[in-house]
Order: sequence, then structure tokens, then C-alpha cells
Amino acid sequence: MPQASSISVLVVDDQLTMRALIRNALQQIGFKDIREAPDGEEALKNLLAKPANLVISDFNMPKMDGLALLRAVRSHPPIRQTAFVMLTGRADRELVQRAVQFGVNNYCVKPFTVQGLRDKIEQVFGQLT
Amino acid sequence: MIGRDYSHDDELRATKVHVTQGESHVSTDPNVVMTTVLGSCIAACIRDPQAGVGGMNHFLLPDAGDGRGGSGGDAVRYGAYAMELLINGLLKKGARRERLEAKIFGGGKLFDSLSDVGASNAAFAERFLRDEGIPIVSSSVGGVSARRVEFWPVTGRVRQRLVAVDNAPQEVRRPAPIPQPASNAGDLELF
Repeated sequence: MPQASSISVLVVDDQLTMRALIRNALQQIGFKDIREAPDGEEALKNLLAKPANLVISDFNMPKMDGLALLRAVRSHPPIRQTAFVMLTGRADRELVQRAVQFGVNNYCVKPFTVQGLRDKIEQVFGQLT
Repeated sequence: MIGRDYSHDDELRATKVHVTQGESHVSTDPNVVMTTVLGSCIAACIRDPQAGVGGMNHFLLPDAGDGRGGSGGDAVRYGAYAMELLINGLLKKGARRERLEAKIFGGGKLFDSLSDVGASNAAFAERFLRDEGIPIVSSSVGGVSARRVEFWPVTGRVRQRLVAVDNAPQEVRRPAPIPQPASNAGDLELF
């Protein structure tokens, strides 16, 4: 069983409040290595400079949205294996289907609970300790 | 973007869009006026004056959110999502984040009780907007009355009337149950 504390995470969201809430939820689950980026462009730079094990990304963002970030991650060999969880709104069914085509590992519908986010991450990594 | 209740008001010479709890609506139409009635709920009216786009949401935190964005509670996540829906709707219609300005209303304490849910809701909205760098150019929160609010999204004009609790609509005196955070119902099955 993987340890949450050994998994590095990059949180990508253009709203500071939402990044703080996601970080807080991840900390409650046990994650310790958590970085943040305000949009897809910054996230890609961040990942290329220092890869992460998991990206949790919003969809609607300026400059580069979540779907474009996912495609960019999957097209850069050094980081293409990064686990990618997309945060979506309830009405974004079409988005989820496109994200699946581009290789998303899972998605989480906002507003989420800590347990809901944990479940989604565990579906990718297995049960976390 | 949700806004199901449309009607035409001859007196206002405008199309009225009633925004109820859990909804948000965005418009670039100068003939639209958004209306809502608030008790302890909050309505944020946010617009980009330069782009001529504005919108209103109407939400109630599921429990006593304490206004601390970093507390990580379900209530705060729900509120942040309600604000995000409105802001994303504005950005999609041409608004720029750095030009957004807000007016907030509601957060009243309509009944005697130990907890002041309205104050928690108002504190959340103020904290959220401050953290996101969106200036609050006007607000009317707290007090012991319900509020009828009309918002013209293009000009930013607002008209507010205070309503005694006994005269407030039933949905204000007894707010609708809060939608629960996302369950797996209706999800696409990836695993």
C-alpha cells in the first residue's frame, strides 16, 4: 500500500481559495509534498522543472485549461506517466469523456468531500496509508 | 449557468431573471434584471464594468462555515464552488478576472438561535472575495430582515428592499435543503 506522504502532488487551479481547500483536503488524507500552480502553463513549467507523481487540476483556467495541460503532460515523455485527476463541475460529462480520451486517470466532481477525493486518488494509486 | 425563472416586468421594462438558492446566472443584456430574495443566504453580484458582463449567485453554506478559507470544511468547499461557478461564467462571457468587482447581500439573522448562520455566510463571502483579489464595492449584510435584491448586471445598479420576516416568502423563512457534495450517482464509470 503506497504512503500518501511519499506521493508528490501538484495542485492546479486559478482560484487561490480552491487551491487552499484542495491542499487542506490532501493534508487531511496524509499528503505532505504538495505544490501549487495557478494555471496550466505554470503547471507544465513546474512539472518539467520538477516532476510530480500526481496532478490534481481544475478544468476552467486562463492561459492553458485543464484539458490542454493533460494533453501537454501526456505528450512530454519525461512526465507522461504522471497520474492526472481532473476536477470538474457536475455538468461536465462531455469534458470527462474527452479527458478520458486524452488519458486522464480519474476525475472528481466539485464540490467534493475529503473522503470523495481520497476515493478518487485511491482508485489510481491503491489504498493509501 | 442556471437561471430558469424568466419573466417580463413592464414597470422595469426589463426581463427579470429570478435566481434561487443554489443557482447562478450571468448576462450581457442591458435589459436583464436579476432578482432574488434572501434571508441568511448570500447573493454575490459580480461584474466586469469594462466588458459589460455581470452575474448573480445565491447560496447558503451547508452548515456553519466559519469563513476561514483554509479550514477545509465541506461548507467552505460548497461556497467556494458556488463562487467559482459564477466567476467562470463571467470569464466565459468576456470578463477579465482583474477587472471584477463585487456587491454582496444577505446573511441576515432572521430567527433567535445560538448560531448565526447568516454571519458565517457573510464572513465566508467577504473572505473569499478578499483572498481572490475581487474588491467589494458595496455590501449589505447582517441585520434581522429578509432582503429583496434587484441587480442590473451590465450597469451594476442594485435596488434592495428590506422585508420583515413575517412578510418574507416561505423559501426564505425555511431555506431549501442544501445539495449534498458530489456523490458517485451519475458519474461516468472509469474503473
